[in-house]
Amino acid sequence: MTVLLWILAVLAVPTLLFGLWIAGVFLKEFFRPGPSDGDPEAAEALGLLPAERQNTKYAGPLPAGLDATLPAVRGGDWKAAAKLMQDLGRDWERRSSAAYQLAEIAAEEDDWLLAWEADRPDDPDAAVVRARSTVILAWELRGGKRAKYTTSEQFGGFHRMLERSREEIGRAAALNPDDPTPYITEIWVALGLGYPNSEMDRLWAEITARAPHHYEAHFSALQYWCAKWRGSEKLATDFAERAATAAPLGSLLTVLPLVAHFEHDQSDDGDVDRTPKMIGRVDAGLADAAAADPTHPRLPELRHLLAYYLALQDRDAAALEQFKLVDGYVNALPWRYQGDGPVMAAHYCRIRNATAQAVSAATD
Amino acid sequence: MGATLRALRALVLLAGFYLLGVILLAALGGADYLLYLHAPSGVAAKLYVVSVLLAIPLVRGLFMLRTPKGEELPGLPVTEAEEPELWRTVRELADAVGTRAPSRIILTADVNAAVSEDARLLGLLSGPRRLYLGLPLLQGLTEAQLRAVLAHELGHYSNADTRLAAITVRGRAQVLRTIGHFEERADNTAGRERARQEKKNAKAEAKGKQAKEIDTGHAGLTYRAMAKIYIGYAKLYFRATLAGSRRQEYAADAAAARIAGRDATASALREIPALDAAFGFYMNSYATLGAEARLLPPRGDFFGGYGQMLSARQLELVGLRTELPTEPSSPYDSHPPMADRVERVESLPADGRADEARGAALGLLTDPDRTLATLEDAVLTEDVLRFRRTGGWQELLDGSMTANLASLDTALHRALAMYIKDHPSLPALLKVIDDGQLWQLAQRLPLSDRAAEAKGRAFREFVRPALADALQGMVLAELSAHSRLSWEFSWAEPAAVRLPPAPDGTEADLGAAIAAAVADHPDTGPLRALLPPVPQGPAARETDAPR
Repeated sequence: MTVLLWILAVLAVPTLLFGLWIAGVFLKEFFRPGPSDGDPEAAEALGLLPAERQNTKYAGPLPAGLDATLPAVRGGDWKAAAKLMQDLGRDWERRSSAAYQLAEIAAEEDDWLLAWEADRPDDPDAAVVRARSTVILAWELRGGKRAKYTTSEQFGGFHRMLERSREEIGRAAALNPDDPTPYITEIWVALGLGYPNSEMDRLWAEITARAPHHYEAHFSALQYWCAKWRGSEKLATDFAERAATAAPLGSLLTVLPLVAHFEHDQSDDGDVDRTPKMIGRVDAGLADAAAADPTHPRLPELRHLLAYYLALQDRDAAALEQFKLVDGYVNALPWRYQGDGPVMAAHYCRIRNATAQAVSAATD
Repeated sequence: MGATLRALRALVLLAGFYLLGVILLAALGGADYLLYLHAPSGVAAKLYVVSVLLAIPLVRGLFMLRTPKGEELPGLPVTEAEEPELWRTVRELADAVGTRAPSRIILTADVNAAVSEDARLLGLLSGPRRLYLGLPLLQGLTEAQLRAVLAHELGHYSNADTRLAAITVRGRAQVLRTIGHFEERADNTAGRERARQEKKNAKAEAKGKQAKEIDTGHAGLTYRAMAKIYIGYAKLYFRATLAGSRRQEYAADAAAARIAGRDATASALREIPALDAAFGFYMNSYATLGAEARLLPPRGDFFGGYGQMLSARQLELVGLRTELPTEPSSPYDSHPPMADRVERVESLPADGRADEARGAALGLLTDPDRTLATLEDAVLTEDVLRFRRTGGWQELLDGSMTANLASLDTALHRALAMYIKDHPSLPALLKVIDDGQLWQLAQRLPLSDRAAEAKGRAFREFVRPALADALQGMVLAELSAHSRLSWEFSWAEPAAVRLPPAPDGTEADLGAAIAAAVADHPDTGPLRALLPPVPQGPAARETDAPR
């Protein structure tokens, strides 16, 4: 018996050593930075932040006021939310943005919103946050996967919530007839429930009558017209071009043709991104961004896309300019589609670092 | 390729099926002989052993090929004296088709008609024929439609369309039966092994040992390997003869249209898938409604109810008739897709026979009610026949629902029992809800990954539907236990439940009360108002009981 154990022990030693060696090799491979990550040195020398310090929740810094209000609301202080919405008044662009941020909190837990509704039963601000939160909850239940990977339980909850939201949207619209926000909210219901195009056009007429060049409205509607939802590449591109041409400089709607291109781009190389047409679109976007109100809550979203396409067009200095203006926040197109959190930040940093490296190589 | 050549190829392939084992054995023997001639004797001896091992399953395979004697399907054989009208119709149709009439007619309990033949000499020679005729088919078809179905089945045995066609049909049936037998035997061997392991596990568990995973991977291996070879060959055979079989199906349809009329044939083809779907539904939702409560409908109604359901659900049948399957039902199925067959028949020139024999096919039987009753004895198992007979469908529904609700055991019951470590009852559940613990309880339900990950509102929305369903079940069970429910039987619609009116005399809104009880901030008030008053006392006594 003892002899047998000895033999086993002798056999075990090389096996163990081999196992350790394999584990070592594996760990080394695992932690080795990928070759395509780009050298972060040049970017970080310019004061740009490493991937782990990028904020993956927002596309840019929160507008003044919102940064203090949101934590308070999260803590249950509904009056802070009510005051925020009241102060914004008829600034539809900021109102829809703030309503979204508040509704996101309410989609997780809505005790504070219930308290608000109980205290001021017919408050249009509470009503619009309520409607928005139900739509966000619906999309939360559905999850971000394609239909094939989405369970019937998820779809069940999704449709139940969207149906419920329609009533709440109607109520919010009735309480504040001038406000486009309830209708903008409804675009996401249209997407989920598959409104026919005719119904979407009717909804769109309601929105443009109230706010003709609203950024979020256009961005949401463009999603509806995309091929992956209820439209096609042509419908989406036409919609984007039309809106961008009609909008005054500084309204940021030049982002739409870039988004339409990005959403339908199936190619593997950058040639389609360097066409004269795409260069023209990026130039229009640069002019638009320069003319815009620097505190516009959506300005960083345009800059992220500009940075991306400038980099793809090898206009590195201009791209770096945009990267510097948005650095620190990465939850925007195109990075967002790569994945959540660290993946998104890594994608952003890879392209940014390559740009910074190219610029520093050119100036050396 | 001509018809004769096609039939000849089918014959050769059929012969191959039976010679497969012999050829493989011969190959092994030949290899051994070559070894004997050329290989050094030491190596050859070892390889002999291997070849013997290989030969064992082959020899077993040869014995497997002895086709089992065709057993009669469970059913009710009827003699000419008992059903003269039916027999006369079948004889007349056989004459018109130009083939022998079957020697036995057996009524069965499915939506099917089939003529089978105990062919002799591997399917080369004909043998005694049986006609299996599903009684549900007679309940759903008109006489003309039934004639079309029978003419089609008999038409397979006529040589009017291709010489040797009958041989192909017999061959196919025989091969199908043989591989069916293989699969059954392989399953049986695996089944025996499973039973043995399960018994061992049960013993191990009784002694407190960890039960092993049951693995039947090796049992029946030689059998399954052999069966695989033959099934593979059979598939080849079916593929090769498929075009021919399809042609025969179309020819049989054409014969049926000639004999029974175009419109009757087309409408019978349309009707059968609809009747089949309806029969499956009937068996599930009506006939076996009382299975768990061990209750049966009155004698004769077990199959008789199908006719009543068909007349009550005519509108639904219209929908079923128009949507025809466009895919064949199985890869072995020789029938072309139903949609194709109907289209072919309907494109034949009109023959002006649309109004022939429109009476129900059941009228061909001497005494349909008696036959429906005797069929029950012939096809239901003895255990089922011992179930208690109810006085009618309403009584069957009441009895079954009461019994089902009394033994209700849902995931919510189990979660509740785990949460309170006590008997899961409705009062206990309502107490948990009133104490604000509903969502903690919900964590104990079986959850999907997504639901388990979700938090806050998202979690509540994920579990709410299941919670509401289970709670509704418990409430109905409670009401049923106090005889406060009544059920409404209907042939045309699902059974509806009637609740006693609310205390203020209005109709009770169970849905709203359930929704309030599983809301984010639950309120059991509306639900308690619907429930019978809780007797005071017993609950208190129960807590005094020693544990």
